[in-house]
Amino acid sequence: MKRYLDVYKQCMYSAAQSAVAYRMNFIVSSLITLVGNILFPLVTLLIYRAGTSFPGWSLYEVLLIQSVFTMSSGLSSVIFGGVLWTTMSHVREGSFEVILLKPLNPLFYIVATTFSTDSIGLLLGGISLFIFSAAHAGAISALYWLQFAGLFIAGTAVLAGLSLMMAAMSFKWVGNSRISELADSVLHIGKYPLPIFPKAVQAVASMIIPVGMIGFFPASALLGRAQASDFAAILPCFLFLAAGVWIYRHMIRLYEGVGG
Amino acid sequence: MNSLKHNWLICRTVAGVTYKEWSAYRTHSMVSVIVGPVYFMVQYFIWTAVYGGHSSLGGMALPEMIRYFGATALIGYLIMDFADWNLSMLVRTGKFLTFHLRPIHHRSFALFQKLGHRSLGFLFEFLPCLLIFIFIFGVDMRPASLPWTFLSVLLAFLMNFYVNYMIGLTSFWLVQSSGIRSAFMLVSGIFSGALIPLDFFPHSLQVIQFFLPFQYMAYLPAMVFTGHYSLGGLELSIQQAVGIQAIAVLITFGLNELVRRQAMKQFTAVGA
Amino acid sequence: MPVIDVKHLTKTYKTYKRGAGMGQTFKSFFQREEVMVHAVNDISFAIEQGEICGILGPNGAGKSTAIKMLCGALYPTSGEIQVLGYSPARDRKRYVGKIGAVFGQKSQLIWDIPPIDSFNMNRAIYGIATPDFKSRLEELTELLDIAHVIEKPTRVLSLGERMKCEFVMAMLHQPDILFLDEPTIGLDVIAKVKIREFVHQMNKKQNMTCILTTHDLEDVEELAHRVIVINHGEKVFDDSLQRLKLFLGEKKRVSFTFSESVQGTVFDNAYTKVIDRPSDFQITLEVDTAYISISDFLEDISRKHRFSDISVKELPIQQVVMNIYENAGGY
Repeated sequence: MKRYLDVYKQCMYSAAQSAVAYRMNFIVSSLITLVGNILFPLVTLLIYRAGTSFPGWSLYEVLLIQSVFTMSSGLSSVIFGGVLWTTMSHVREGSFEVILLKPLNPLFYIVATTFSTDSIGLLLGGISLFIFSAAHAGAISALYWLQFAGLFIAGTAVLAGLSLMMAAMSFKWVGNSRISELADSVLHIGKYPLPIFPKAVQAVASMIIPVGMIGFFPASALLGRAQASDFAAILPCFLFLAAGVWIYRHMIRLYEGVGG
Repeated sequence: MNSLKHNWLICRTVAGVTYKEWSAYRTHSMVSVIVGPVYFMVQYFIWTAVYGGHSSLGGMALPEMIRYFGATALIGYLIMDFADWNLSMLVRTGKFLTFHLRPIHHRSFALFQKLGHRSLGFLFEFLPCLLIFIFIFGVDMRPASLPWTFLSVLLAFLMNFYVNYMIGLTSFWLVQSSGIRSAFMLVSGIFSGALIPLDFFPHSLQVIQFFLPFQYMAYLPAMVFTGHYSLGGLELSIQQAVGIQAIAVLITFGLNELVRRQAMKQFTAVGA
Repeated sequence: MPVIDVKHLTKTYKTYKRGAGMGQTFKSFFQREEVMVHAVNDISFAIEQGEICGILGPNGAGKSTAIKMLCGALYPTSGEIQVLGYSPARDRKRYVGKIGAVFGQKSQLIWDIPPIDSFNMNRAIYGIATPDFKSRLEELTELLDIAHVIEKPTRVLSLGERMKCEFVMAMLHQPDILFLDEPTIGLDVIAKVKIREFVHQMNKKQNMTCILTTHDLEDVEELAHRVIVINHGEKVFDDSLQRLKLFLGEKKRVSFTFSESVQGTVFDNAYTKVIDRPSDFQITLEVDTAYISISDFLEDISRKHRFSDISVKELPIQQVVMNIYENAGGY
């Protein structure tokens, strides 16, 4: 355990070193990631500006959902964001064994070495937008904050699971640089109030691919709108992450040629 | 006449080779078949909710709005390219020289490549998504006028190409053009109209769009598809809109040619 | 008891045929034709501790597949591998802590930061105690003469310096076995010599076993005690370096560019054979150095002809494999 912590610390240090080595590049790419990911609140803004709304949701409430979503994406891509690209390039260049040559859990090693400083900007952007929209939500009780924290962690687990599943896919779909678009499209559902979707989509987004947990459920909890049944959706989130881990490890085993 | 025939032969060959080259990656386009409809579905429900009691927003009724988003998605498959990325890679790796030594403009070559690449997109992205929109979402995807829509999409195809190629040309001066490219893609993402119709923007921003390339790549052809065009308080007939688009493409082509000449000067002077 | 014991090792892959063209594109979208590839086919050998063993073979012969299985990155389709008492793929996590590997074309250094930080990363990964790490690092950097570069960003280092750093990466945790895959590819002569010297020293001082795949015959001649040749996934030769040289007949290829036309001149004799005559001025000869030393041969030629350019090379690996096949009766 101590060794794993030591490795992670060393990896964070290296990532920071690399970012410093290319300061300009780092700043520009952080900004672009940030701006690119806060574009969708702009659509919401324009919709409300036109005098219409998502029925039952005020502008700041929708922005709150979207800021929570952004924070969660930021956190998850700092930790897991590099897994897809690194896996993809290792598989394409046939150099994945460099990872298998380390006396560590390969999944841990890949996650650790791909610590993404670029996404810190996104995380900070999400936090700013969150503070801004939460300020309009009025007083929030400690209980709500607690509920929010729990749901937020579950939402980040969903994003982590999704990253791992996409990365696992790149073992089979060699060189397909568009895999990430798949995840992005599904995530799109999680950026809006879930009740605007039909019941079937809602069920999928809270039980099967629980993208509703990334923005909508935690934000509802903060607004005191969460229902007891919403908390049941936490379980599928962690199951989803576990599925991601399992699939990724399965792909490594296939790569090693177990039974193949 | 002979040179026209010669060019047509080159075009067919380059497009054919590109088609074959990218056929190896045809499964990549299956991503579009999932991604496109998912985005469309989200748009569908967002706007269904937003319309609520309103019968018309930004001058459009809900079915029209849905048609609009279907059209922007499909037009995207027909006109997308990465001429900018391609060119900047050629410049950075020094491979551009090999084109300079051949009796063909690289720009023509790249345009022919795009033709081949998009034929593949037509088969494996456009057609499947069109069928999904029609038969699964039940959207009426019949254009208001097929010839005018066709013409407008063709112009958007050229517009996108000349603009992207121009961005690629900047790599003759800049070592790292990726920053410019990402920034451009961001702005284009907002103002092309694929996220939200440009009618929703503040008036001044709408007026500016006439002088920027973005609306000519998605918003305008999609509006031509729906049959009526308005922006910045200006109501135009389909014919007028396509006319303006044609002028915009001509101007862009002119600018492109200007920058290209400068770039070639730079290239032969510095050997970048 | 050998450190490496390989019995009937086999690796089979399944790949798919891909078609081009309209019709085929469409067809293979739904149905793909399977092709079985036998990358490694029933190979057995044993290696004793302290041996340096070269694995030779043309490109695509199955060398890298074999070494990947020995390193534990790939499971064999069938057959058995025992290294240091482990089954590499099955006990991978414990096993790889005992081996080191340098892949000439797969860097383990982090590109944007100085090698010293990459070394530190390996310290954490292999759980090396800090005092051990320090003394070991000092020793290695001194041996390889790179103390002055390890604080510079990796991307500014020369290929030779980078390769030496790769060796430090692989050696920090004192592995019992070192796997080298094309370790000198693309290096200049001085760097090659330095690296070979280093491997020799490590082998002598720590009795470290070393497995080396390469298609540079010189690497093998300078380093290996023993040579295994693989072709089409099968072992075609496994013996001492001396025996291999017997097969090769210690031949070199010498190419000349003459100052005047040598059209009509006969070069074939008891110890030289014409391989190629691309023009009246150029010729490539195969010289059997068992009969005549290279210096005598050159003296002889330069007495008769004036030449403007010359190169002396080892036999290409394909030729070696062919010679082995030709002499298969004797083996």
